Amino acid sequence: MAAQPKALGFEYPNYLQEPRGIWGWLTTVDHKRIAVLYAVSALFMMAVGGFEAMLMRGQLMVPDNHFLSAAIYNELFTMHGTTMIFLVVMPLELGFFANFFIPLQIGARDVAFPRLNALSFWVFLAGAIFLHIGLLKSLGGLPDAGWFGYANLTERMYSPGINIDCWVIGLLILGLSTLLSGLNFFVTIVNMRAPGMTFMRMPMFMWAMLVTTILILLAFPALTVGLVFLFADRFLDTHFYRVSAGATPILWQHLFWIFGHPEVYIMALPAFGIISEVIPPFSRKALFGYPMMAYSLVLIAFLSYGVWGHHMFATGMGPFADATFSITSMLIAIPTGIKIFSWIATVWGGRLRFTTAMLFALGFIIEFTIGGLSGIMHASTPVDLQQTDSYIVVAHFHYVLFGGMIMAILAGFYYWWPKVTGRSLNETLGKWQFWITLWAFNATFFPMHFLGTLGMPRRIYTYAPNMGWDFWNYFESINAFILGFTFLLFFINLIWSTRRGEHASSDPWDGRTLEWSLPSPPPAFNFVTVPMVTARDAFWVRKYGSVGSHGVAPAIAGGAAATPIGAPAEVQEHIHMPAPSIYPLIFALGVFMMGVGCLDWVRLIIIGGAITLMSIFGMLFEYPSFGQFNPEMIGESALGLDSRKLGMWAFLGSECVFFAALISTYMVYKDRNMGGPDAMILNIPLTSFSTFVLLTSSLLMVLALAAVQRDDRKWGSIWLFGTAFFGMIFLGGQAFEFTGFVMKGLKIQTNLFGQTFYTLVGFHGIHVLIGVCWLLVLAFATAAGRIGKDRSLAVEIGGLYWHFVDIVWVVIFTLIYLMRTVKHA
Amino acid sequence: MSDYAIEHGHAGAREDPTDAHPGPVVYLVVAAILTVLTAAEITVFYVSALQPVLVPILLVLAVVKFAFVGMFYMHLYYDSKVFTIFFAAPLLLATLIALGLLLLFSHLAGVLSFTIP
Repeated sequence: MAAQPKALGFEYPNYLQEPRGIWGWLTTVDHKRIAVLYAVSALFMMAVGGFEAMLMRGQLMVPDNHFLSAAIYNELFTMHGTTMIFLVVMPLELGFFANFFIPLQIGARDVAFPRLNALSFWVFLAGAIFLHIGLLKSLGGLPDAGWFGYANLTERMYSPGINIDCWVIGLLILGLSTLLSGLNFFVTIVNMRAPGMTFMRMPMFMWAMLVTTILILLAFPALTVGLVFLFADRFLDTHFYRVSAGATPILWQHLFWIFGHPEVYIMALPAFGIISEVIPPFSRKALFGYPMMAYSLVLIAFLSYGVWGHHMFATGMGPFADATFSITSMLIAIPTGIKIFSWIATVWGGRLRFTTAMLFALGFIIEFTIGGLSGIMHASTPVDLQQTDSYIVVAHFHYVLFGGMIMAILAGFYYWWPKVTGRSLNETLGKWQFWITLWAFNATFFPMHFLGTLGMPRRIYTYAPNMGWDFWNYFESINAFILGFTFLLFFINLIWSTRRGEHASSDPWDGRTLEWSLPSPPPAFNFVTVPMVTARDAFWVRKYGSVGSHGVAPAIAGGAAATPIGAPAEVQEHIHMPAPSIYPLIFALGVFMMGVGCLDWVRLIIIGGAITLMSIFGMLFEYPSFGQFNPEMIGESALGLDSRKLGMWAFLGSECVFFAALISTYMVYKDRNMGGPDAMILNIPLTSFSTFVLLTSSLLMVLALAAVQRDDRKWGSIWLFGTAFFGMIFLGGQAFEFTGFVMKGLKIQTNLFGQTFYTLVGFHGIHVLIGVCWLLVLAFATAAGRIGKDRSLAVEIGGLYWHFVDIVWVVIFTLIYLMRTVKHA
Repeated sequence: MSDYAIEHGHAGAREDPTDAHPGPVVYLVVAAILTVLTAAEITVFYVSALQPVLVPILLVLAVVKFAFVGMFYMHLYYDSKVFTIFFAAPLLLATLIALGLLLLFSHLAGVLSFTIP
């Protein structure tokens, strides 16, 4: 039986101490170090985004101001939104807090895929830099079409510079990073929880992150598809969003908001989780209504996929669609209300400690509620039609994003910083920061409700005097500068406290969850022995014997962890941590070079692609345990399943949304063709043959798996080569088909049918090509004797991908080929 | 299930990945079924008399083929139900989103007309 969690003796070096030097940071796969890298990057971007906001408020301070030009103002509001969402809030919540505390709260030594975690960070950094490439002299400036980049403003004819190219490619790169992080954290939470930590014993932050990762996996593919279409329009001269070709820019809005509204909750749910962690210890009570808090997270996530249309009421979707989206948008207030009431009930009757973290958490409840209430207003179509694109919307989303998310992030910093660095943030400075923030935030954003009501539209760079807007704009700008000053206090506090702050004990707040059982900062391997969890609030129960729900627990700050218990030295010998790797950084470098190459330097695409490919092969064979069946690891996992297989299934689930968006676009555009070849050009006999070929390849794939699983390497490699060969025949058929179409005048630019067909079938073909390469690697490795029964998992996972490609083709063959004559299908 | 997994209350831990997977015979039977179903799809496409019911027949055949590959080749029928949930839930969501988009654009194109009396 596993031992109870022990506080370690401090003779173990903490994660910041070893390995030393810059190389240690560049090659790290430790989730805590990666979290710190995210934090440093995101805090820098917070300063950048905040500076952009200050410039905008300087411009709007007085009427008829020409401090900034209209063009620069457009760049500033675009980059302020993009930066704050993709480069500040998400990386701080997911990259920093989730990365650092998921393993610590569930009793794991690291995330499920440590190298993938490092890769996510470096790709994130590449994406962040890429978005700002336009700053380089003579490259045309920053993106300037708004954070939601509405088509057809983003089309080449209206935005000819490379700034929108940077935005499109930058977001694609950032999307890759987020998707990989989401996948990693999802598998970690599902499968790596400590023994006894059932779902209903998880800290609420873990529930929030579990649901958030599901949202990421199922929302980002829609954005990817929208961006791919935009990329094609800009680089391949297609017309996915051009009305003149029969297309509609509304498609972009749908794809963007299918991602965009879940994205709001991708930012909000981690904030909910942070608040649910901060309030209980400072109220000295357990979280009120734990089950309902968990279920409401799930309900919010589910509903968030059915509300995207409320961002589009002004596009004229029709009364039925408007009414549907209006109702679902109002419904989402119910689970959100449950959360707010549960936080209030947790505070109610508690013995409160007004630390800075608690103050920010209470501030969150108030400000987020105000933002939520104005959100319900926008859910009403007639009201929204009056308010849309006015400053009321700016007020609303800043109450949600700043009053909600940033307040929660600040609460999280003050709460968890002692665990991250071993030193507490200065409370006096923190409280000054809180009270000034509370005033300045409300004074900046609440009057925007008035300005919106007075008719001030958003995104205007200046305005005429005497429209009744002068005073409030002046007032808001002064307070915005004060708000900016509070962040100066915050950064000073972070830097000063990290160097000279008060040393923190392992459990400075009398915490309830497992991370407080570890030293501050924790050692690289987190736990000497994997903890055995017997109840919710595992560490609290260990200290005091019971959760003490609704009652006031004995206040013994420090608890059991105050006395470090030295672990036997030999225990450490049994802890195997993943080795550092430089390949994630190389991979990101390759991706970055490919992105830059897309702008104008084609050779860089090839060089970047080669570097990326090299890093993939490097990672593939870096660990000797590649594809190895590991019964010990599976035995230790929460579900008794292999994390790698779980990860592949989660990825395939995400791919379903990707292909659904591609297929539905094809079907939407199929009947909007304005001349040229249409679906009748499709070659049914040829594709029927290809379908048989692909189905046969799936048979060979399972025969290969069966052979490898019985350790028959000869037949395993034969079947694998056979599968790859059939895949190549399929690709050959596709190349033949495409060539024939081009000769008949159907190019990707020809018409809507051509562009949607080539994109959908082409993406499937790319998947087949990746599968063929994967199969060849497996086949050669099996033939060389490197894959046998013990490593059959590598073949099984490759097989899952291959069969998925097969079933996607089953759908494509039916809907695109065999139903080619069906109108409006 | 390993002693470790039993001791810690974990469900479903397997010692050997090949335990639950079917043998080549099952795979060959499934391949035969898939071949027949694909042949049926192509036949339906070319038979003029079946054009009025082309869409439902093709959809049913595609769903059955999809299910066979998922259940037997991807082992969802044999493996942990967790995998089925991981795949089926996103698939359902993706289908709903696709249907939602088709409905919204059908309305925009005037094919379907939703009116509230």
